[in-house]
Amino acid sequence: MDWWVWPIALFAVTFAMGIVAVLAGVGGGVLFVPIVSAFFPFHLDFVRAGGLLIALTSALSAAPSLLASGLASLRLAMPLALAGSVTSILGALVGLALPTDVVQIALGLTILGIALLMWRIGRSEHPHVTPDALGQALGMHGVYHDPALGRDVHWQVRRTPAAFVAFAGIGVLAGMFGLGAGWANVPAFNLLMGAPLKLSVGTSGLLLSVVDTSAAWIYLNRGAVLPMIVVPSLIGVILGAKVGARLLRVASASLIRRVVLAVLVVAGGRALLKGLGL
Amino acid sequence: MREADLYARWLDVGVRLALAALVLGFGLYVFGVLEALVPPQELLRFWHLPAEHYVAATGAPTGWRWLAMLAKGDYLNFVGIALLAGITLACYARIIPPLAARGERLQAALAAAQLLVLVAALSGVLA
Repeated sequence: MDWWVWPIALFAVTFAMGIVAVLAGVGGGVLFVPIVSAFFPFHLDFVRAGGLLIALTSALSAAPSLLASGLASLRLAMPLALAGSVTSILGALVGLALPTDVVQIALGLTILGIALLMWRIGRSEHPHVTPDALGQALGMHGVYHDPALGRDVHWQVRRTPAAFVAFAGIGVLAGMFGLGAGWANVPAFNLLMGAPLKLSVGTSGLLLSVVDTSAAWIYLNRGAVLPMIVVPSLIGVILGAKVGARLLRVASASLIRRVVLAVLVVAGGRALLKGLGL
Repeated sequence: MREADLYARWLDVGVRLALAALVLGFGLYVFGVLEALVPPQELLRFWHLPAEHYVAATGAPTGWRWLAMLAKGDYLNFVGIALLAGITLACYARIIPPLAARGERLQAALAAAQLLVLVAALSGVLA
């Protein structure tokens, strides 16, 4: 097959991914790694690096407006991003050191776990919170204006020590598999720490941009980044996300979410079988 | 200006610059305007290899050695990629002075610690 077929196919697939990711409320990175590693001829090292850069770019593109509106909080993200970025570096180093089939198996299991988490987990718009001492000491509280409610929302957090452990674990997975970690960040902020849902979604991207940056440099320094994979995918996801945002008003979010879950199950299963040599 | 606004402003400019550099660099690469270390038609033979084997087979640079290869179409793309992966460092560096000036020592220390981690990752000493 001619070489140019692959970047065009990547662009087409990531464009669709960008649309679906916005409609389903997931990051493009979590779809990119399982789908591209399952159906394209690239080695998993390059796909993971591509996944990190795609998740990073999507998060960076959205962060300025979220920060300006107060829907992403630096004070909430900074301490947890520090833990996550250290462990994402470790995850990247371990992922690059392990045999490919072991990483494939672990990736398959992780993707299936993510699908299960997305299927089962609930969300809470404005959890009731009794703040903990560590969260208070770190200044993890604030206020943002919610246009939908037409009022300011004051927020604070709980279970900060447990959150450090959770975000450290999320960092390992992000670095090892090149997955954007919105699927885990949002429930950790919202359900574990009790941050309001909108703030959790906004801050998730900000935190992800720091965590994925750390791991991305490890892949860059190891020579695991191929522009032929990264650039068409980045452009595809960004343009797809713009189209997805326009379709948001007319598409059935629950149907799209079910499609995403089915895709994750198929891609995760394929990664698992590939790792097992089946 | 709030530190969040400063961070947002630097991020916005950085992302725009990085994406422009990527689109331009990729055009010069795929349309063969610049010679590539690994031309696109030859990449097919190598992209199924683990990164370590790819580097050994093609002589691709590791660490920051790509800076010496910016005349090659494929490595010109690394300017945009490095900008994307470097914006967060610049943003953190930018917010430390105002945080420290306002006496927010803990927040400034957290930002400084994060900057150190990012610099360690970027430097290549950990890879």
